Amino acid sequence: MSWFVRSAALVAATAIVAYGVATIEERTDPRWLVLLAIVGLLWGIALWPATVRQAHPVDRAMIHVAAVIGIGFLLVATQLIRAQALDRERIQSRVVSTGTEVVADPRRQVLTPESRRGRILARDGTVLAETRVGEDGRSRRVYPFGPAAYLAGYYSPALYGAANVELAYDGALSGRTRMRRLGEWIDGILNRPTPGYDVVLTIDPELQSEADRLLGGRAGAVVLLDARTGAVLAMASAPTFDPNALSVGTRATPEELEAARAYWASLQQSNDGRLVLRATQGRYPPGSTFKTVTLAAALESGIANLDTLYRDEGAFTVGSRVIIEQNRPDPNRVSYTLLEGYGYSLNVVFAQLGLQLGASRLSEAAHRFGFGESIPFDLPVTASVVSVDTGYLTNPAGLAETSFGQGELLVTPLQMALVAAAVVNGGEEPVPFLVEKIQTASGEIVEQHRPRAWRRALSPETAMQLEQAMRWSVEHGYARGAQIPAAVVGGKTGTAEVGDRPPHAWFIGFAGREEPQYVVAVVVENAGSGTEVALPIGRALLERALGR
Amino acid sequence: MAARVRLLELQLLVLPALLGIVGLLTIYLSGTGSTRWSWSDIWVSLVFMGMVLGTSVWLSLIGFSGDQVLFPLVAMLSGLGLLLSQRLQLVLQHDAGWATLAQRQLVYLVMSFGLLWGTLTFLRRLDWLRRYKYTAAVVGLALTVVTMLFGVEIQGARLWLDLGVVTVQPGELVKVLLVVFLAAYLDDYRNLIATGYRLGPVTIPPLPYLLPMLVMWGLSVLAVVLQRDLGNALLLFGIFLAMLYMATGRIAYVAAGLLTFAAAVWVALHLFSHVMVRIQVWLNPWSQPLHAGFQPIQADYAFAHGHLFGTGLGFGFPQFVPLVASDYALAALGEELGLLGTTAVLGLYVLLVARGTLIALRARGSFVRLLAAGLTVVLGLQTLIILGGNVRLLPLTGITLPFISAGGSSLLTNFLIVALLLKASERVGELR
Repeated sequence: MSWFVRSAALVAATAIVAYGVATIEERTDPRWLVLLAIVGLLWGIALWPATVRQAHPVDRAMIHVAAVIGIGFLLVATQLIRAQALDRERIQSRVVSTGTEVVADPRRQVLTPESRRGRILARDGTVLAETRVGEDGRSRRVYPFGPAAYLAGYYSPALYGAANVELAYDGALSGRTRMRRLGEWIDGILNRPTPGYDVVLTIDPELQSEADRLLGGRAGAVVLLDARTGAVLAMASAPTFDPNALSVGTRATPEELEAARAYWASLQQSNDGRLVLRATQGRYPPGSTFKTVTLAAALESGIANLDTLYRDEGAFTVGSRVIIEQNRPDPNRVSYTLLEGYGYSLNVVFAQLGLQLGASRLSEAAHRFGFGESIPFDLPVTASVVSVDTGYLTNPAGLAETSFGQGELLVTPLQMALVAAAVVNGGEEPVPFLVEKIQTASGEIVEQHRPRAWRRALSPETAMQLEQAMRWSVEHGYARGAQIPAAVVGGKTGTAEVGDRPPHAWFIGFAGREEPQYVVAVVVENAGSGTEVALPIGRALLERALGR
Repeated sequence: MAARVRLLELQLLVLPALLGIVGLLTIYLSGTGSTRWSWSDIWVSLVFMGMVLGTSVWLSLIGFSGDQVLFPLVAMLSGLGLLLSQRLQLVLQHDAGWATLAQRQLVYLVMSFGLLWGTLTFLRRLDWLRRYKYTAAVVGLALTVVTMLFGVEIQGARLWLDLGVVTVQPGELVKVLLVVFLAAYLDDYRNLIATGYRLGPVTIPPLPYLLPMLVMWGLSVLAVVLQRDLGNALLLFGIFLAMLYMATGRIAYVAAGLLTFAAAVWVALHLFSHVMVRIQVWLNPWSQPLHAGFQPIQADYAFAHGHLFGTGLGFGFPQFVPLVASDYALAALGEELGLLGTTAVLGLYVLLVARGTLIALRARGSFVRLLAAGLTVVLGLQTLIILGGNVRLLPLTGITLPFISAGGSSLLTNFLIVALLLKASERVGELR
């Protein structure tokens, strides 16, 4: 074969390997194996031994067989290079928990002393998690700040692996980052131990304590974000777990192991989702807070504006379903503008609006807010959904119920906080973040989070109108309780029906001195009306944030 | 003819001899953490060095004129294997056996060198083997059947014969017997098989002449499949195809063979659940992280921990990989010697295959040429299958890594192969 064909094949093979290494993570991903087969063929073309034309057929066949075996060895070498050099960190950091046992690289326990693991700090330096070495020389991971302990997660190398920030930032905490790869790489080659980095969260301990106190142990969640950047200032979730009881080191005594197992078993048995971070993974029907999304869809599509009039006679029939209106401020009044419908949370108005919008426009608007997608975040998140069954919205009754926040809607508190953030942010949702920076033990910054926009949910004009509607709701509507002196406040309450049990109480809102600075989302499970239960929590937290 | 000093071989042997001494010292000193040692700590390496150099001197003395590069390569690889067994001895729980792993490996190595000397000294002509082609076939089949009937099962595969004192793995020898038979048979009927009958434009393969081979091969593969030894099935199949191709030079046989192989795999997938499990664990060991997937996951960790230069002998944790001494020798080397070490080992095997091919090309007599090429394919393919399994290029199979894995049957067989290759290389460069 000519040198041209050979070098072309070699270049192509190299390009394919580079592409495969860059895009395919697993060495046994079928796509990678197919690429390897192609690469093997190309290497065959490039390296095929040239035999003289007169060569004996047996000679030629022998050389061919040897060449095929040689190419096989090259493929083995490719896999080896991936395992030992390119994919090394990915392999080493892979940890899987089967629920009862954890499979991880046992060398991590032997080689990286837990005392070197980095700390998790709040934004003002309050320690959320650190490793303390006891008098007997055994190290132990402790979580001294109760209200945020479960955000840090747990680190339990002997039993249950890790969770939350301890899991998501395990690399940085044990001394591996993206930014200092070269130095760490050299350390790795020379087998030098690297100390772990400290992970600094955006959490404000005072606001976090306040959120935790306001929730008061009731099942539910509170999320407070910086409206502009998406920084999580407080994120409370209840009921939850105590990571101190789960963190057993590799040199734990049998009693400690037994205690941790017993605590784990009690978490499993309590069956109230204590290991689930409700703020990001809990999904609830949003109740009337979802009217914000329906209103956004209506304004955005231009089928109505805030002054459009709707009739509300106290009941509305869709198919066989009768929607009873309980929210009218004056039972004798039957005509309301859309703005009033939002502020007084009139289900009949929004049912009509939803039918007018149609299923596709409504769900499209929800998807623009991020429904159906996992929010990019530092902790595990669950995607919010408009409906569980795909055909649910094609049913007019289902569409009407969805429009005022019932139906099959399931949303996370973080998602609803982002809806409020989009409203006050000119229509753009920021990427929420919990980790502000990664630094060395002496405070030298290694990685700094830069606020980013996640997606555009609304046009700036619609966002402005929605902000006006949410403020009207606080100034004149049912969210009046949320007023804070000398501050700009907007909000929307929700009372989400859930079968026979008491409804979930919801509140989403924003507040600021000159213009909105903070957004909040509150849900309290089976606690009653949003106005009475959730709104006071949101208002108190916003006021506290404004006082910071 | 006067004894000629095999100078090149002696020079090349300095490397494996030093490797043994330096490696064993490293292993010993890494455990004690000091630099004090005495000669008695490295007596194993001294024995190895003596055997290696002694063999070369012996070959010079008997006037052996064969290849001088092959033996140093083998010495290097088996030296690594010996080192590995000494290394693993330190950390492995004492396993059932008549001696410790390290002692057994040394004894096997001594026996293997004995076999090499014996074969080279007493086997006059390789052509002698061709007369016994049907004997080889019958013995091979008999060994397989006996293993199937009376074998003991270890790790789900029935490959071992319990002889009271030791358990042996007859399957290793069967490969050599198969090659001997195929080489002789193909050499006899090469032309008939290569041409076939012409029927207009179509060429029909000469089935009557292919049949004995197909039967022999089919029976061994069937036996192997019944023994659940997939690696050996793949190996036998590869040997068969390669030798058929080398004897006839016809790619059509290879294509047909690959097609039947694909069909066989498909059938096996649906017939045997353990094949399916193997494939699943290969593609995603994390689907069963505590059971079948545990071993490959731990091996991946070991490879990854090795990085470029490795931790150094004695500083890794090969004990975390189950059955590291037999199934995952490369993972243990990869962790302690790093990517450089593993690629060097790969390089040694490539050189071994290249040298074997060269011997086959230069040998005189078509039977000897086919035999040498076939034996080279055995070594190369077996290495490729087990290494491919170790690095997850192929599903993992339980066959051994030639010269390095712990195990007597495998070591003896591979030394027999080397002895035959050396014999085939005799007269190289000489005028007749």
